[in-house]
Amino acid sequence: MISRLRSLPYTKKKQWYGFLFVLPWVIGFILFFAGPLITSFKYSFYNMELTPDGLKGSFAGWENFRYAIFRDPQFIREAVNSFVNMFYSVPLILIYSLFVAVLLKNKFRGRGLMRAISFLPVIIASGVLMQILKEDVFSQGLRGGAESVYLFSGAGINGILTELGIGPQLIEVFNNVIARIFDLTWRSGVQVLLFLAGLHAISGDLYEASAVEGARAWEQFWKITLPMLTPIMLLNVVYTIIDTFTDYGNGVILMIYNTAFSQVRFGYSSALAWLYLLGIALFLGALYALIKKRIVNLQD
Amino acid sequence: MNHLKAMIANKWNKRTRKAAVSFIRAAVLAVLAYQLLYPLLYMLSMALRRPEEAMDPSVIWIPKSFTLSNFTDTLRVMDFWDAFANSMYIGIGSGLLDVFSSAFVAYGFARFRFPFAKVLFTLVILTLMVPVQTIILPLYAEMKYFDAFGLMGILSAIAGGPDSISLVGNYSAFYLPSLFAMGLRSGLYIFIFRQFFSGMPKELEDAAYVDGYGPFKTFFFIMLPNARNAIITVFLFSFVWHWNEYYMSNLLLGNLKKNFAIALSSLRVDLESVVNVQTISDPLVIVTRIQAGALLSILPLVILYLVTQRYFTDSVENVGIK
Repeated sequence: MISRLRSLPYTKKKQWYGFLFVLPWVIGFILFFAGPLITSFKYSFYNMELTPDGLKGSFAGWENFRYAIFRDPQFIREAVNSFVNMFYSVPLILIYSLFVAVLLKNKFRGRGLMRAISFLPVIIASGVLMQILKEDVFSQGLRGGAESVYLFSGAGINGILTELGIGPQLIEVFNNVIARIFDLTWRSGVQVLLFLAGLHAISGDLYEASAVEGARAWEQFWKITLPMLTPIMLLNVVYTIIDTFTDYGNGVILMIYNTAFSQVRFGYSSALAWLYLLGIALFLGALYALIKKRIVNLQD
Repeated sequence: MNHLKAMIANKWNKRTRKAAVSFIRAAVLAVLAYQLLYPLLYMLSMALRRPEEAMDPSVIWIPKSFTLSNFTDTLRVMDFWDAFANSMYIGIGSGLLDVFSSAFVAYGFARFRFPFAKVLFTLVILTLMVPVQTIILPLYAEMKYFDAFGLMGILSAIAGGPDSISLVGNYSAFYLPSLFAMGLRSGLYIFIFRQFFSGMPKELEDAAYVDGYGPFKTFFFIMLPNARNAIITVFLFSFVWHWNEYYMSNLLLGNLKKNFAIALSSLRVDLESVVNVQTISDPLVIVTRIQAGALLSILPLVILYLVTQRYFTDSVENVGIK
C-alpha cells in the first residue's frame, strides 16, 4: 500500500498520509466513544436487566425520561444544585487563576518555586482526596481548631463580626465563602497553567510598542493582555464548567453512578446521563454563542 | 538645577515603587503558598502524632511525641503495595501509550491537510466535553464482553472457542483506549501536541524529506525526539489523571483489584471495620490514620512531580498554546 502511495502526486500523497496519521484516533473514536454514546442513548429508552448472558432490555419509550423529569424527587434538585454551584464557582476560579498567572508571569526571585507550588493542585487534587480534605482539613480550619490559629481562625472572625453587629445570616454567608476559598484554589491548578501558557504566547512586541506610546501597565492589562487571552479564556471556561459538572463529589454524577451500579437500573441511569449531558450541552452552546464575538483570534 | 532635582526625585520614586510592588507581591505569594501547602502540612502533622493528640489544642504544628504507627497501620489496611502496583501499572502503561498515540494523531492534524480535518478536530475537542459517566456503562459492557470488535465472534464461528472474554480486572481495559488515543482526556493531549508541532520550524521536516525520509520516519526520528517538553507534560498529566481517576478504575478493575483512588475512597469504612474488630472504637484513631493514608497515596505523585517539575514548568513557556 505504501509503495502505491509513493507514486501518487505530492498533494494527494500528503492527504493520504495525514489520514493515516489520524486513523488510530478515528478507530478509537468509533469504538470507545461514538459506539458507547449511541448505545447509551439506546439504553435510555429501555428497561435494562443484567442476566447471565449479558444485558437484556425491554422497550420503555419515553418512560425513563418522563420519570426523571416529573416524578424523581432527587434528580431535578441535584441538577439545579450543580448548576447553582457552577454559577458562582466558575467566575471565582477564573478570576483567581488569572490573577495568579499574571503574578507568576514576570521574572522575580523565587518564581520557579512559586510556580511549582501553584501547580501542586494539578498533581494532587483528585476528587477522592478533595473529599477527604473537605471533610477533615478545611472544616477543621473553620471550626477554629488548633491548626488554624494562624490563618482562618473562624471563631475569631465570627467573634469580631458579631461585635460589629452583623447578623448571623451574613456571617453564615461569609463563612461559606471562606470555606470555599480553599476548595476553589485547590481546583484552579490546570486553569493557572493554561493561563500562564497563554500569557507567554502573547508577543512581547505588543507591550513594547504600547509602552513607547505611553501606556501604563494597568492599561496594557485591559487593552492587550485580556483581549489576547480570550481564546485561552474560552478554553478555560469550558474546561472549568465541565470539571465542575463531572467532579467526583457532584450530586448528579453520584446519582447516575449509583442508579446504575447500586440499584442496577441501567436504562434509567442512561436516561439521567443523557438528560444531564443535554443540559450541559445546551448551556455551553448558549454561552459560546454569547461570548463568541468577543474572542480575538489572530490565527489564520 | 531644578531639572536635576526632579530627575533624582523621579528616580527615587521609581525605586520605592518597585520595592513596594515586589513587597506586595511577596506578601500575596506568601499567603498563596501557605494556603496551598497547608493541607500537606496538616496531613503530615496529623499523620505523625498519636491519636490522643489529634484534637489537643496545645499541639500547634509539631506533635509532642512522634509515632509511625499511623503509617504502619494504614499500609496494612490499604493494601498499600497492592494498590501501588495497580496504580503504577495503569499510570505508566496508559501514560506511555497516551504519549505515543496522541503525538502520532496530533502530528497528522498539525502538518497535513486532508478532507474533513477540521470536522475531525472539532470532534476531538467534543470528546472532552462529554462526561465519562454518559458512556461508562456501554464501555463497561464492551470490556466485560470483549470480542475484539467482532473478530472473536467470527473466529469462534469458524474454529470454535469463546466468542468473548472479560477484560474487567485486566489492565488492557485501560491500555486499549489509550492505544487508540481515546483514553482519559486524550483530546486534551492531542490538543497540546498539535499546538506544539504547529510551533516547530517546518525546515526540520523539509531537511528530512530531502534526505529521503518518509512522513512516518520523519515523525519518529525527527519530530518526536524534539518534543521533549510536550512529552513530559502529557505523560505527567496522563499519569496523574489515571492515578486519581475513580469511576472508571472502580468499574474496570473489578472487585478484586484496587488502585489508590479506590483504596482511599473506602479507607474510612475499612479503617472503621478493622478498628471495631480490635474493639478500639476511637474516632481519633481514624482521623489520624486517614491523614496518613492520604499522604501515602499522594507521596509517589509528589516525588514524580519533584523530578519532572523543571521540564514541566519550562514547557509552560514553550508549549505556546494560542
